[in-house]
Amino acid sequence: MYVPEPISKLIDGFMRLPGIGPKTAQRLAFFVLDMEEEDVMDLAKALVHAKRDLKRCRDCSNITDREVCSVCSDKNRDRSVICVVQDPRDVIAMERTREYDGLYHVLHGAISPMEGIGPDELSIPDLLKRLEDETVKELILATNPNIEGEATAMYLQRLVKPFGLKVTRIAHGLPVGGDLEYADEVTLTKALEGRREL
Amino acid sequence: MYVEQLELFQFRNISRLKLDCPDELHLFVGPNAQGKTNILESLYVLSIGKSHRTRKDKELIRWEQSVARLQARVVREDRSQRLEVRLHPRGKKVVRNGLEQRRLSEYIGSLTAVLFAPEDLSIVKGSPQVRRRFLDMEIGQVHPAYIHYLTRYNKLLTQRNSLLKELAKDRRPESGLLEVLDEQLIEYCTHLWKRRYQFIGRLSHWARDIHHSITQGRETLCLEYLPSAEVDPDMDEEMYADVLRQELGQLRDREIHRGSTLIGPHRDDLRLSVNGTDLHTFGSQGQQRTAALSTKLAEIELIRQETGTYPILLLDDVLSELDDSRKTHLLEAIRGKVQTFVTATGLEGIDEETLDRARIFRVRQGNISELR
Repeated sequence: MYVPEPISKLIDGFMRLPGIGPKTAQRLAFFVLDMEEEDVMDLAKALVHAKRDLKRCRDCSNITDREVCSVCSDKNRDRSVICVVQDPRDVIAMERTREYDGLYHVLHGAISPMEGIGPDELSIPDLLKRLEDETVKELILATNPNIEGEATAMYLQRLVKPFGLKVTRIAHGLPVGGDLEYADEVTLTKALEGRREL
Repeated sequence: MYVEQLELFQFRNISRLKLDCPDELHLFVGPNAQGKTNILESLYVLSIGKSHRTRKDKELIRWEQSVARLQARVVREDRSQRLEVRLHPRGKKVVRNGLEQRRLSEYIGSLTAVLFAPEDLSIVKGSPQVRRRFLDMEIGQVHPAYIHYLTRYNKLLTQRNSLLKELAKDRRPESGLLEVLDEQLIEYCTHLWKRRYQFIGRLSHWARDIHHSITQGRETLCLEYLPSAEVDPDMDEEMYADVLRQELGQLRDREIHRGSTLIGPHRDDLRLSVNGTDLHTFGSQGQQRTAALSTKLAEIELIRQETGTYPILLLDDVLSELDDSRKTHLLEAIRGKVQTFVTATGLEGIDEETLDRARIFRVRQGNISELR
């Protein structure tokens, strides 16, 4: 079937995005053709700007359009706590809670020798630099509760020992508002292991 | 526990099948390559969510068809449940009472089954890998969380082996990461060891009794776990961890040199012996067969002990492999307790009394007709 080159290039472009197969890509590409030119320009600009203007925050490595991100430059936040997460999306999730008012550090991944990701590929050196500042009293390790995330947390915990600060790991267990009977065995076992005295 | 009704759609060579099976003993006869084993396999898939014959679910779907569906109505203590497995080239779904189960580990256990097929002789004769697979499948059936730990353990092994290979090539200076993975390894090893020891201890107990009675007291069967590290079942988790930490330290250079993890549940074995003689090396064909049978029958008792109800038993083409006294013992051991599905090429060699209480079906090119 003949497809003009501009549109086949557009289809290929969409297909590089996660979760988009050939059919959806084709649908999106033809939809773009019917869009107002102004809207198309806005979309294209947004794509380029997001890529070009976003950089990593000097302090926490989270994505930002400034030198220092809005969290790090917020004077009202508690500078004695740093929460270490894997991904910028984890920061968004934590911020939604509105319960945490400390700072973050984004690793941009987790240790995985299989994929060639070691400590040096993550923003760990930057984190160590931050810890030299004595205002930091606690490090919260909020990496994912899977093999890679746990390895990263354990590695960090050992690495920061010389700094003598309080290191904590977020709890895992039952989801709030859920029913005990619907929890799977592993989660329930973990929740049981992490029980607290009242 | 028993299966009241089985329905298959586009499964293997069966285009459509509806089978009422409320009785205790069901016998499927017919020449080879007609689909007898497929019926047992379908019950196994409904139980474990995967086949014992292949790892590729796609092979289970009938030739030139896109989906297959397996359904069973299972009765346990007067309560009935509908189980369903839908196979699609891109994946499978497991459904209980019309509700899709997100995890296989949440589905497994709805129908417990013990399968005895000619391949099971390889539990005695085959490589350690076969025995480890046997352990993993059977423990997973009664302790679904075990599968979770096992999957994570395997993932961890891949990670650790990659790191060892990197270290061997000196691409990366050791930065304490290996020690971290060691600690994770220790956590998973201790968990898997604990479960495997517990399982083998109980299985061995039942197997010994059953084997005693099959051999009229002449043979004492013993199942023993052979771990790759110096651990034993009496140790607690902390002792496991100490032993492992020490042994990993000693093996460090060799592991880096080989680029793989040299101790852990993935290197362990199960030893079956009769009167102190190792069956794998010295057992006669008959002894090996009887030991495999005793182990399988022990599993039936074990599952009842762990889950409170007897599993169903699937006997694939094994009656012809057993001599008369073993056959009699097998059929006696399960009588009145265990719903059984049997395949055979013919009715010869099966005693009248058994035939009298069985429902007999003829299988021909994927079609089934009741003989009686």
